[in-house]
Amino acid sequence: MIIAEQKSLEEIKGLVQGAEKLLVVGCGTCVTVCFAGGAREASILASSLRMASKLNGHSQQVSDVTVQRQCEWEYLDPLREQVKDVDVVLSLGCGIGVQALAEHFPDTWVVPGLNTSFLGLPTEQGIWEERCAACGDCILGLTGGICPIARCSKSLLNGPCGGSEDGHCEINPDIPCAWQLIHDRLNKMGRLEVLMDVQTPKKWRASRDGGPRRIIRDDLRLASEEE
Amino acid sequence: MPGDCHYLEGNVHARRRVERIKRLLEDIGLQSERVKMVNLSSAMATGFVSEAQIMTAQIQQLGPNPLRAS
Repeated sequence: MIIAEQKSLEEIKGLVQGAEKLLVVGCGTCVTVCFAGGAREASILASSLRMASKLNGHSQQVSDVTVQRQCEWEYLDPLREQVKDVDVVLSLGCGIGVQALAEHFPDTWVVPGLNTSFLGLPTEQGIWEERCAACGDCILGLTGGICPIARCSKSLLNGPCGGSEDGHCEINPDIPCAWQLIHDRLNKMGRLEVLMDVQTPKKWRASRDGGPRRIIRDDLRLASEEE
Repeated sequence: MPGDCHYLEGNVHARRRVERIKRLLEDIGLQSERVKMVNLSSAMATGFVSEAQIMTAQIQQLGPNPLRAS
C-alpha cells in the first residue's frame, strides 16, 4: 500500500491560512490503513484546526468528509456540492488523491495534508517499511522475492556492496542488507545458483527515467472515451 | 502499574497515546499540562486523592479552557 505521514499542524495551518471555509477530505484506502489520512485522522485534524483558529481569533469553519478512494473520479463526484462551498480543500489522501481532487475540481484550491512516503507494508504495529520502488520492470523473480531496488540503499542489481557488514547496511545499522537477505533466502530455498547469473543493466526507462508513466489497456477502454 | 494492567499492556499503550495528545494540544495552542496520566492501582486511594488534588491545583493555575472562554 501507499504509506504516508501527516504533515505538522504548523505546516498545515500555513497551507490553509486565510481560508474562511475549509473542507478536510480523508481517504478510506491506503492512508486509512497506515493511520495517516482516514476518517478518524480527518476528524481529529478538522477539530485541531477549528481549535487552533479559534485560539488565534479567526474561527475558520472546518468540516471533514472521507471518501472510499480519492484516486477515482466516481468517489469524488458526491463531493461536488461540498467542494463548491469552501475556499480550500485539504486532502488527507496520498499525492495521487490531492491531484485527483485538483483535477476533478479545477476551480478549487487543493492542498496536501500528508507527505506521501513510499510503497510498503506494516512489519509490526506502528512500523511501516518500504518494499517496492514501482520501477516498472519487476525482478523479484530473480531475487527470491526480495527487492534490491527498493531495499538496497544503492539499488544494486549484483550485490552486496563492500558496505554490507554483519547483514546490515553501511548507511544505517538498523537497515538489513537486501543482498544478505536475498542470499540467505536463496540459500534456504536451495537456489543459490540463481546468483550466478550476472544481471545486465536495468531498463530504467520503465521507471521515472522515462518521464511520467501511462498504461493503456485497449481491452478495457470504453469506445465512448477513446480520443 | 505500568505493564501490569487488567488489559495487560494497555496502560503502556495509553501512556504513549497520552503523550501524543499532549504534543497535539501544544501544536493547537493549548497547554499540554491539561492532560496527565498517572498509574495507580485500585488499592491506592490515598495516592488517587493526592494526584487529583495536584491536578486540580494545576488546572486552576492554568485557568479556564480558552476555547470555552472565548
